[in-house]
Amino acid sequence: MSKQVTRREFLNLLSAAGGTAAALKAGSALGLLPHTAQAASMDLLAANAASRKVAILGAGISGLTVAYELSKVGYECTILESSLRPGGRIFTVRHGDLIDEIGNRHYCEFDDEPHMYFNAGAARIPSTHRNLLAYCKELNIDLEIFINENKTSYVQDPALLGGKPIRNIDYTTHSRGFLAELLAKSLNAGEMDQPFTDQEAETLMGMVRSFGSLDEDNLYKGSFRAGYAAGGFLEHGVQKDIIAFRDLLKTQMGRQLLSANEGDTGPILLQAVGGMDKITEGFTKHVGHQIRYRSMVNSVEVKEDGVDISYDQDGSRHLLQADFCFNCIPSHLMTGITNNFPSQYVDALKYIRRGNAYKAAFQAKERFWEKDDIYGGISWMNNPSNQIWYPSSGIHKEKGILLAAYDFGDGSFHTAMTHEERIEAHLSDGEKIHPNYRNQVEKPITVAWHRMNHMLGCSARWQRNRSGWTHEEEELYHALQQPVNGRHYMIGDQVSMHSAWQESAVMSAQWAMTDMDRRLRA
Amino acid sequence: MLKTFLLACSLCVMCVGGVNAAETEREPFDDRYCTTCHGADGRGNEGVQAPRLAGMESWYLRRQLENFRADMRGVHPQDIEGIAMRPMATKLSDESIDDIIDWVGSWEYVPAEATIEGGDPARGRGLYGGCAVCHGDRAQGNESLGAPALAGQNDWYLVTQLKNFLAGYRGAHPGDTYGAQMRTMVNTLRNEAGILNVVSYINTLSR
Ligand SMILES: Cc1cc2nc3c(=O)[nH]c(=O)nc-3n(C[C@H](O)[C@H](O)[C@H](O)COP(=O)(O)OP(=O)(O)OC[C@H]3O[C@@H](n4cnc5c(N)ncnc54)[C@H](O)[C@@H]3O)c2cc1C
Ligand code: HEC
Ligand code: HEC
Repeated sequence: MSKQVTRREFLNLLSAAGGTAAALKAGSALGLLPHTAQAASMDLLAANAASRKVAILGAGISGLTVAYELSKVGYECTILESSLRPGGRIFTVRHGDLIDEIGNRHYCEFDDEPHMYFNAGAARIPSTHRNLLAYCKELNIDLEIFINENKTSYVQDPALLGGKPIRNIDYTTHSRGFLAELLAKSLNAGEMDQPFTDQEAETLMGMVRSFGSLDEDNLYKGSFRAGYAAGGFLEHGVQKDIIAFRDLLKTQMGRQLLSANEGDTGPILLQAVGGMDKITEGFTKHVGHQIRYRSMVNSVEVKEDGVDISYDQDGSRHLLQADFCFNCIPSHLMTGITNNFPSQYVDALKYIRRGNAYKAAFQAKERFWEKDDIYGGISWMNNPSNQIWYPSSGIHKEKGILLAAYDFGDGSFHTAMTHEERIEAHLSDGEKIHPNYRNQVEKPITVAWHRMNHMLGCSARWQRNRSGWTHEEEELYHALQQPVNGRHYMIGDQVSMHSAWQESAVMSAQWAMTDMDRRLRA
Repeated sequence: MLKTFLLACSLCVMCVGGVNAAETEREPFDDRYCTTCHGADGRGNEGVQAPRLAGMESWYLRRQLENFRADMRGVHPQDIEGIAMRPMATKLSDESIDDIIDWVGSWEYVPAEATIEGGDPARGRGLYGGCAVCHGDRAQGNESLGAPALAGQNDWYLVTQLKNFLAGYRGAHPGDTYGAQMRTMVNTLRNEAGILNVVSYINTLSR
């Protein structure tokens, strides 16, 4: 622990001689990123009259993107969708909707009001997901801010202060204070002289002090940042008690709390007003008539000059012949569908593992959290239910829909339970934060993506270990991205290196259409 | 073809009143979920480890559905695949099981492709001698002994079952008399190598 930062390390940092410099150079390649955003327009060659029939397998957002774009340039598209609704993993649940989980199908009994919905699948749109956002703009989908981070929401862990929930702001203010105090000590004047100019040293100390709200002696003695114990407006504010560093270190939750609002889930996040499926609706306004529902693909045969697809609808078998086919059926379901794909393609489909995510929601009889200074955002619990999300929409209305649990890592814990067991688990987890929870919520729904009909997963898992993509994995991925015979394309976020985002699904569709276009022009 | 369209009220666990629910138009459903997991025409899907159902003997199919439904199969916490199947069976009524058996019977039997590697069929042949008594020398099954056909079944599935019998994940429930018979037999295979050998021999048989 006594190892001090060396002068060399500081110098490296200052002059960015190592990895940072490389990263900065790469940054200048930003201009090369797909230039898009304001208009989603793809500039595709108009369809050739002799080969303009397109079959799209699955009405996921990637399939809808293909239908929308190719229809613009004169292709005749047919979408085969095995379930009863479009959107796949974009699934907004409202009053009367069927949750078609195998072995746990149930209907949603939420009150029938516009703000009483639950995004059981996709829920957040990062502001950097520009291709998706470009479609939202083009399709006139109203967006609003999604509140992810909320400093007044709670953190609860049985290991922390005997399980008493504390406000996120208490956790983060005190943690930062102690971290900053440690950093300030390690940057004692003696060493700082050497690598830093006076000006730099002063700036750095200023940053550290402000990061942790340190006093003039570089000590952390609590901060009004955590809010007031009393007063603060008409009278002097009374500072809250500090939670000892040693106590904060009893919970491992800092790992999640300090990174939950970075990267893809960093500000600003957006959502579609009224439910994420408004995005799906934006597409189906244009291409909805092309969708055949309850049409389950049974076989895919790629031929020299096209693709033959057989599918079941209304108890009988049909044949669809197309010149091109775009397929977003999840890989682990495609392996069970008769096909004549090349072996490397099949190997790739078989290689991908399916993720296991789980979400549940309650209707709240009143918006009790708003009385507790909470407006939107997430409370974190160290128990299997993991999170409570307070709705960003419907503020100050009477009721609202709460996310009661979200397990995005390995949802198998709740997946294995019955509906009733799951509900009881969320009630008893949630009441550790909101003591009267059990009486304040009703009309539960639970959604185990591993068991959702026609889906059986939440997202493709390409990597077998955390250390990154292996060479073999990259090869399989690139093999799957390529068309079969120039006629059949796999699409969807499964054909991306960043699955579980709508943006990836949209981009995979654009990649495939661009590739087709390039071949047709050649 | 039978369609059981149920209304929400009969299922809804926590709905208060329930009157509204019945009034609204709701998406109907039946129990024909099988092909989502078991693949096109029930030919098996390795991606979700659900085996071929097409061509399965109706008496054996019925028994397995009833065993899953009665918590005699798919309950051991290590039986990952069985656990995936059981909640489906739990929801089936007797009437639904009849319907499903008719439906499964309409699928064409297509033998599964061999996928496993590393087994020695010559050794497997020796091991299979004891199995033939019940499953038949072409692994075509024997209804009077309650032993199903093994030829043509997905080899990865046969491997899972033999491992599960060996580990006691299947066939251990006191009510599962047929499973118990099988469980005593599996010990002759001794270990994973034995299992691979016998299954690679079964892969050479056709019914
Ligand atoms: C719990 C959860 C949270 C998520 N959160 C976010 C988020 O916050 N933000 C975000 O951007 N993304 C999120 N995602 C990811 C996002 O939902 C997906 O990346 C995206 O919707 C995938 O679209 P897709 O086009 O790949 O196809 P999918 O949506 O997977 O669609 C595939 C379609 O194929 C159909 N199908 C299956 N079998 C057949 C068959 N045999 N015949 C015909 N059709 C068939 C299915 O019914 C389905 O409609 C989340 C996903 C989940 C599950
Ligand atoms: C959620 C996916 C899923 C669904 C839906 C499903 N199954 Fe299964 N089923 C499985 C899996 C996985 C197994 C393999 C279990 C094992 O390895 O022990 C299985 C095993 C079986 C078996 C045992 C086979 C044998 O040889 O013993 C039968 C019979 C069966 N399923 C019938 C059905 C029928 C009929 C339906 C439709 C009513 C159905 N299944 C729906 C996943 C599913
Ligand atoms: C005494 C008769 C008997 C013998 C001998 C026997 N089995 Fe079985 N086997 C059964 C019965 C009965 C079942 C059905 C169990 C059930 O209904 O759950 C079965 C089931 C199986 C299954 C599961 C099939 C499925 O679809 O899930 C496999 C695999 C199997 N046997 C392989 C073997 C092998 C390999 C041998 C030789 C080592 C063998 N059996 C010997 C009676 C026997």
